[in-house]
Order: sequence, then C-alpha cells, then structure tokens
Amino acid sequence: MILRGRHLQDDRLFECYLTERTGDPIDPPTAEHLADCESCGGRYTELVRFMDTVRAEGQAEADAVFTPERLRTQHQQIARRLEHVGRVARVISFPGQFVRGSITASATRTAPRWIAAAAAAGLFIGVALGASYEWNPLLRSARQSMARRIDTSRPARLTPVATRGSNQVDVAADDAFLSDLEVALERPHTRELLAFDAFTPHVREIRDRR
Amino acid sequence: MSDVRTLRDADTVDLETAAAPSGGARDRRSAPAPVSEDSRLAIEIRTLVERGTMDEARERFGDLVALHQRRASRIAYQYLRDAADADEAVQDAFVKVFSHITSYRETWPFEVWFTRILTNGCLDRRKARARRDRWFVSNEISSADEARVSSAGGGHGDPERTLLARERRAKLAAAINRLDGRQRTVFTLCHYGDCTPREISAVTGLNESTVRVHLFRAARKLRGLLGGKP
Repeated sequence: MILRGRHLQDDRLFECYLTERTGDPIDPPTAEHLADCESCGGRYTELVRFMDTVRAEGQAEADAVFTPERLRTQHQQIARRLEHVGRVARVISFPGQFVRGSITASATRTAPRWIAAAAAAGLFIGVALGASYEWNPLLRSARQSMARRIDTSRPARLTPVATRGSNQVDVAADDAFLSDLEVALERPHTRELLAFDAFTPHVREIRDRR
Repeated sequence: MSDVRTLRDADTVDLETAAAPSGGARDRRSAPAPVSEDSRLAIEIRTLVERGTMDEARERFGDLVALHQRRASRIAYQYLRDAADADEAVQDAFVKVFSHITSYRETWPFEVWFTRILTNGCLDRRKARARRDRWFVSNEISSADEARVSSAGGGHGDPERTLLARERRAKLAAAINRLDGRQRTVFTLCHYGDCTPREISAVTGLNESTVRVHLFRAARKLRGLLGGKP
C-alpha cells in the first residue's frame, strides 16, 4: 500500500474507485483505512462523486441525442443494410431510365446513320452505272440505228472539210435522224401506256400542223 | 494519432490470451459462465452464416444489435461529438461485424471485438474530419442535436438550469477533448463504454497496468481542468 504519511495517495484512491466500480471488493486494509480516516474517506467520496458526475453527464448527453426513437430507426437501418450482405451483387443502372434511354437513343442514332450511308452509296453506284451503261432497249436500239445510219448514209461526215456546207441532203438526213431520236425518246417506254400515248396529242404534232 | 496507432497495432496482439479471462461488464463479472450472452449469440450467428441460413442469422443479429446499440452510440458520440457521424459509425460497425462474423473466435469476448471495430471506425472518422476541417469550416454540433441535449439537461423546462447544464456539458466535452489521444480513448471506453481496465487492455492492446495509469492521469487532468467540479 502506498501511503502519504498516514493517508492514501490519489492513485490509490483511484484504484479503489476502479475496483469498486467493477464490482470487486476493495482490499480490507484500504477499506478499513477509508472507513477510519475522515480525510481519506472525504477525498474518496469527492473523487467518486466527481467521476460519477462526469460519467452521468456524458451518458445523459449521449442518451439525449440517441433517443429510443432514434435507436429504433438506427436498428431498422442496420437491418436494411444487412439485407444486402451475403447476397450476390447485382448491377444497378443509375439512373435507370436515363441509362436505358441513352442506350436506345444511341442505337436508334446509329441505325439511320448506316442506312443513310448505304443509301448514299447505292445512289452513287446507281448513278455511275446508269451513266456508263444504257439500260433502256428502245434508247439502245435508237442509238444503234443512228449509228447504222451514220455508217451508211453519211460516210462523208467523217471528212467534214469535204462535206461542210456543200451537201444539203446530208443536213436533211441529220434533221430526220434527230427528229426520229426525239420521237423515240418522247415515246412512252411502257408497253401498257402506248395506247394512251397514241390518243394523246403531242406538242410536236401541233407544231407541225402549223 | 497515437490513439489510432495503439488500436491499429492492437490487431496484432494475441487477443486470445489478453481477452479470454475477461469478465466483461459488471453484470457479466458475477456470472459463472465463461462465455457471455452476446458472445454466445455471436457464435450462433457465425454458425448460421456458415450454414448459409442468412435470413435466420440476420434475425438473430438483430438481438445482438439491440444488446450493444446504446453503449455503442454513447462511445461513438463521445468520440465524434456529432449525432449523424456517430449514427453512421455505429451502423458501419454493426455491418462490418456481420460481414466478418465468420472470423469471430469465441476466445474473444464479443464486446471486446465489437468495441475495437467501433473504436477504429470512430478514429478513422475523426482523422477524416480533421483532414476535412483543414480546408472547410469545422463541423459544429447541429442545432437539432443541441436542442435535444439542452432539453435533456435536467432543466425540465427551467431555462436557467437548462443553460447551466448546457454549459457544464460543453465544458466537460472540451476538457475530454483536451486529453491526450490514449487517455481520451481509455477514459471514453471506461466511463462511457462500461469497459473494465482488462477489457480496455484487450481492445487497445495496452498493458492493463498502463490502462490504469492512463485512467488515473485522465481523471486527474479532468479534475484540474474542471476545477474539481464537472
């Protein structure tokens, strides 16, 4: 026992306080001294009062903040959080609608882009092919006949210096050829429409009548 | 920082020898059973989790939460001095305990194991707050909490007593905050966490006699700061 003169030192008094607080008995000589010595007994009582007040104040403060309602809410929140523990994690799209919307939006945006590109490519190829190849059989036959006529009736055209302005027949033939060509081009190419075309007055015929 | 280091280092301490003979809180001390009620419950939950019966484990864990919730809230509040922070710290500690219940060993009193997890969480939060406060305005106690604390100050409607209680508590909180890190940890665990010096020794990894010395010095300093009257 550590004594100051005949009195207990502060650390010994505190030890007694801790021992008593945990429910253990204070060793008999010290207990006897505390009971007999008025000074040590008073100091011990004061220490116990101080420590108990500190303890009670702190606990009361915390209990005032953590009311039974708050503790109940806390309990529920813990239970809610625990529901997800031990379960397989799942991917949550956040925010759900926005993500879904953006996915569909991007998909719908991508599709027309490809369609537009394909359409443009198709158009380009079509135009190029159309320009390089004559698909219409009537036009083709007209061209062929024109070529034949050129070959047969106007061999002199190959030598323009010799024929220019001298042969009126050739010029007339050219006019006839060109008018035939116009007829061929203006004539409807669909067989079903030929009958309607026959009944339809043409600008050319009216002009010829005048 | 020293308190953080103490508790973190305590993870490496042989807790089986340090905490096994612990009698727990005062009510457990008199009980002859070597394993306390909460420890038994924790073992049961661990078995249920290992079996895969999670729903039943969760249900049983609710009882464990109810046993320690108030004490945990007191400790967390004394550490953090903010109700929302303390609430989160308590929740996190319980969730962490349930997530790692399979690593719980019956040679450790559950109270010690749980308190260490809670205290470490609180210290982490204090550290994060100190870091945050370097850049932002410090987070004072919210007005709602303050009102609740004031109303429960023993005033019972008397404004003067309410004010006095409020001042008294503010002084006490400031005095506890001025304690050295280890002293504060030990003091908080002893007086607000109802831990015995032996349990504090198991939680912090400090020697039991060192814990007693810290407790004594903390009490002496508080008496000096508060003038003998809290």
